Amino acid sequence: MTTTTAATASDAAREDHTPASAPSGRRRLAWRVGRWPAATGVVLGAAALPALAGPYVVGLASSAVVLALLAMSTQLLAVAGLPSFGQTAFLGVGAYTAVVLAASGITDGPVQLAASAATSAVAAVVTAPFVLRTRGVSFLMVTVMIQGLGYAIAVHWTGVTGGSDGRHTPPVTLGNGHPLTSTPGVYWYAITVLAVAAAATAVLLRSRLALIWRGHAGHEPRMTALGYRPTVNLGAAYVAAAVLAGIGGALTVAINTFVSPADLSFDVAAAAFAAAALGAALFGIPTMTGAMAATVAIVVVRDYFGSNGTGPLYFALLCLTVPYLRPAATGLRTWYTRRRQA
Amino acid sequence: MNAQLLHVDGVSYGYGAAIVLHPVSLHIAAGSRHAVIGPNGAGKSTLLNVIAGNLIPPAGDIRLGQRPVTRLREGARARLGIGRTFQHPAVVEQLTAAENVTLAIRHRRMRRQKVRAALEQVGLGDYAGTPAGQLPYGQRRLLELAVVFAAQPQLLLLDEPSAGLDPSEITHVGTIIRQLPDTAAVIMVDHHLPLLFDLATTITVLAAGQHVFSGTADEVREHPVVQAVYLSPATPDTIPTNQADQQEPGGAATAGKPSRLRRTLTATADTAAVQEPAVLQVDSLHAAYHGATVLDDITLSVDAGNVQAILGRNGAGKSTLLNTIAGLHRPHRHTRIRVAGVELRPAQPADAGRHGIALVPQGRRLFASLTIREHLALATRHTRRQRQDARWSIDDVLDLLPALRDKLRRYPAQMSGGEQQMAAIARALLTGPRLLLLDEPTEGLAPQVVDQLTATITRIAGTGVAVLLAEQNQRAALATADRISVLDAARIAFSTTDINGPATHARLAGYLGVSTAGAAA
Repeated sequence: MTTTTAATASDAAREDHTPASAPSGRRRLAWRVGRWPAATGVVLGAAALPALAGPYVVGLASSAVVLALLAMSTQLLAVAGLPSFGQTAFLGVGAYTAVVLAASGITDGPVQLAASAATSAVAAVVTAPFVLRTRGVSFLMVTVMIQGLGYAIAVHWTGVTGGSDGRHTPPVTLGNGHPLTSTPGVYWYAITVLAVAAAATAVLLRSRLALIWRGHAGHEPRMTALGYRPTVNLGAAYVAAAVLAGIGGALTVAINTFVSPADLSFDVAAAAFAAAALGAALFGIPTMTGAMAATVAIVVVRDYFGSNGTGPLYFALLCLTVPYLRPAATGLRTWYTRRRQA
Repeated sequence: MNAQLLHVDGVSYGYGAAIVLHPVSLHIAAGSRHAVIGPNGAGKSTLLNVIAGNLIPPAGDIRLGQRPVTRLREGARARLGIGRTFQHPAVVEQLTAAENVTLAIRHRRMRRQKVRAALEQVGLGDYAGTPAGQLPYGQRRLLELAVVFAAQPQLLLLDEPSAGLDPSEITHVGTIIRQLPDTAAVIMVDHHLPLLFDLATTITVLAAGQHVFSGTADEVREHPVVQAVYLSPATPDTIPTNQADQQEPGGAATAGKPSRLRRTLTATADTAAVQEPAVLQVDSLHAAYHGATVLDDITLSVDAGNVQAILGRNGAGKSTLLNTIAGLHRPHRHTRIRVAGVELRPAQPADAGRHGIALVPQGRRLFASLTIREHLALATRHTRRQRQDARWSIDDVLDLLPALRDKLRRYPAQMSGGEQQMAAIARALLTGPRLLLLDEPTEGLAPQVVDQLTATITRIAGTGVAVLLAEQNQRAALATADRISVLDAARIAFSTTDINGPATHARLAGYLGVSTAGAAA
């Protein structure tokens, strides 16, 4: 599974923006107009979830938010042409930062988020010069090792992490000192953080910096010949992605009031990577919308339908669709266009 | 007189033990237009790479203005004002034309207007929103020029700016280069001598890594050594003896050819006498990209031992035609492509390969991590299944392309453009093809090598292989073809076997512009 998704993510990062993103003017307009009601529907549905479903589903949705942040983090690097498996390491940095703060009495949620974002950014700055000496499959392998390293540190640095037993924390508080204990309260906190992070990422992806990342992903020699510094620019992507993962780490602590090495395990990394790869396969290019949709799909098939223990099987089957998603999407589009023309 | 901008003193470069550039010195004044010419493998691209910083020379000194830059990498030199183009257009295919240019403009002020101006300067104003990967090859090259010009470098290095362009586009590129501001110095490497003689104030001639001569266009034209190594039509006197047999045109002279190859030639001559269906028969081929028709109702056939040349402007669909026949592009469902009477399934490249179609793609597409010997070994694997009479051994191919014989251990990156082209042709021949598809084989080749290549193509056809040639270089195409067809507006505008008739030339000029491409001065 890992091999398949790995190849697809890196392919997708390089694949043409062409077919899906070049529809005729009228259809593009229809898509633009249709997008806002759809987005509003999704946001309203997400906000109203605690009223529509029981606490089990709401709890699942909260954990899906963490996976969504990890998937976005992975996808951000895919935009820059870097297939990363190691974003869980930065999730770990963020999570244990929040744990340490909570243990020393700082339970304010936004403060924990900011501190986690800062420490994971520092961790990314430190590792970037080494990791960014590689590209493509080598980069992927190095980040697999980063994931493993993060996990090993979490298991063995018992003084901070509590080892494989993990550490419990008091619930996070908001500005007024009121602890967040109810399942819907935690859920709303989580989706608010996700919405803010997604909005910030959307702005970032429309910036010149993101254009430079796509340039590096598409033709690095050209970018170097124009005087761009690959390590600096791709390093910025690496740091931004680490910040997203670090925020996910702080949220893990806020949602579970507990963190253990299992939260940054290989399985979690694989799920995040698969979400990014599935999302890229769906649209032909790495997109955040695709990563979000894939995250929802993974949580639904793996944790909701597969709650009786068959989850990994469903997850594996979902991953196997990666090579077929793009041709299927293209075929569907062609069929739809033909039918409209006829 | 302008101040000196670039000093290159005693710079050399080698790949392993092979020295590709012997110590060379150049002094370029600000605002000058300097050309570097020479046969393939002369070290021209290496010189550009050394100046741009892609290669760090082991010896010598490079200064930009007063500043030593010898140890700086390409990015640092780019920030000091060196801009370059690459032999194959280096644009970000996933980004639109406008986004590509945007990346070159650092300052936010008036960026949008500057992007539009840069695109309009090269005639791509209408393609701002088109992904660069969807532009035809020639337009990608123009886009790369727009990108590099937009960065406003002090020193511009142009590696074969005219390769793959049609005559009118070459004229256009000349105009654009002439319009560059006087403050910018330009170093051009190209094989299109009329363009260089017209633009360049000084010309440096390199041969086999050695600096031969520097002077004005007139001095270079008159210089006897330059004449011998580069300009004059190839004659046995000026060619190393092991290449002499390549210079004789085609099947006319089998004398002097190695015995093994002669055997192949006579063997196929007998089989060709038997009436067979055309090797390639294409009926009502229709191809499109995302709904936009590129080729409409193309019908053509190529017989064994014949060379058919497809001419047309950039974007006319030459590459698409070849790729469709090779199974790389899915045609419209009514298209029929038959090889020796057998209909091919559409868009099945392996199927096309099994039926004896071999493609030499534009840009060669050699495997970067394989040596030439490994390329040839990989291609030979299939020949067991091929017809006995069409089988080529590695020795046959090396007899035909002797330049490769002592380069078998090299990787493509260590070879000149001409040698790479030969390797790509050798790889195709070893699959034992009935039909050889050549996409712009002369692109980026020196006039002398073009002559060798046209002779080689004629000889390949002489062994009974059908050849379909897409070519920008009219002179090369006319020299080899038994039939020429001109693509225009998605259709074959005309097709004739009267290659050298005045009427044909007049019509060609009408469709393609005046033929200067590849003319030797």
